[in-house]
Amino acid sequence: MSKIIAVHSYKGGTGKTLFSVNLAATFAKAGKKVCVFDLDFRAPSLFAILKTPNADFWLNDYLNNTCEINKTLINLSNRIPGNGKFYACLANPSTEAIRDMSSKDRKWEMRALGRLLALREALLKEQEFDYLFFDTSPGLQYSSINAIVAADYVVVATTGDRSDVDGTKRMLSELYNLFEKKTGLVLNKVLDPSPTAKKTEMQNKIKADYQVPMLGMVPCFCEILRAEGSLIFVQDKPDHPFTKILAEMAKKIENNEIE
Amino acid sequence: MIRNELSNKKPLSILEKIEESLEKLNDKIEIMIEIQKNGNTNNQRGPSPLPDASLDVMTLLSMPDHLRKTAMTICRCSRATAEEISAQTKRARAVESAYLNQLVIMGYLKKERKGRKAYFFIDKESQS
Repeated sequence: MSKIIAVHSYKGGTGKTLFSVNLAATFAKAGKKVCVFDLDFRAPSLFAILKTPNADFWLNDYLNNTCEINKTLINLSNRIPGNGKFYACLANPSTEAIRDMSSKDRKWEMRALGRLLALREALLKEQEFDYLFFDTSPGLQYSSINAIVAADYVVVATTGDRSDVDGTKRMLSELYNLFEKKTGLVLNKVLDPSPTAKKTEMQNKIKADYQVPMLGMVPCFCEILRAEGSLIFVQDKPDHPFTKILAEMAKKIENNEIE
Repeated sequence: MIRNELSNKKPLSILEKIEESLEKLNDKIEIMIEIQKNGNTNNQRGPSPLPDASLDVMTLLSMPDHLRKTAMTICRCSRATAEEISAQTKRARAVESAYLNQLVIMGYLKKERKGRKAYFFIDKESQS
């Protein structure tokens, strides 16, 4: 069963962070204990979306082996209705931290992979988290590939942008195939979503094009663009179609209806 | 009765020793084959690990498929025997043993014998 889910894309701006936060919040709303991690160390953004106060410890500190994972976890459960638990583990947005993370060598990256793999024991087994979400940086960055290797299931977010389509296809065939990773594609910001009758046809076409199964399709919603990343949609707008689409995807993941 | 027990036990312990010796011999043959393949002609007794060899994701990406599968599994287990790795990869123990020894020779893994079992692990200490 997929417990660690990485959200990745070839290009930036595909909606990874908004998707990660809202998918995690969907599970929390359903009573699960979840944590979302910001692994985009070059352009941290989770703190801005979640509007968290400054953290004492960051994910950077855990990967640098200067603190345990518990110190980095921020409990935001009071923002989600119900009994679920919602935690966040942020990347340090300071310029100095970004510079530091950009200059890490291969041995550090190898140890960072070990620390990410250790989260399975520390959080899933010992602290009974149900799901961990890794929001990664786009493209083939060390931190993203570490997250992909450590995850059980990878959601690849893509848009209709031509350069994104080509790059995503290449990334899936040349990177994901090598790691034999269970993968689902989310087609985001779709301008003219097909009627339900054509949905299956379109899903089959995308599966044939990308050679990976589709997790879902998200139309381009003006409300999401207007919110400028300042809302947890599934919490603030429970009746919005975006919230319903995410609930369907969460159900697929939970029922293991992913290929 | 005691005689019976002894006669039963003796062949078993002899067989276990033979198995252990064969495993050690197998490991040595694999190392010799690897040295021959790599053209290592120096006179060192053991295989010399490559300097600066770290098992990071870019290294995993550049590995041949058969070795990557073993290397990724050991990354997840951090310390395991060839048998434990083979249970996850669904490949034969002897195959995994050969691949693990190859990774030891390449300097990515360390090997330690404890009794009859050989454990493979990533030596993070020496790479700090």
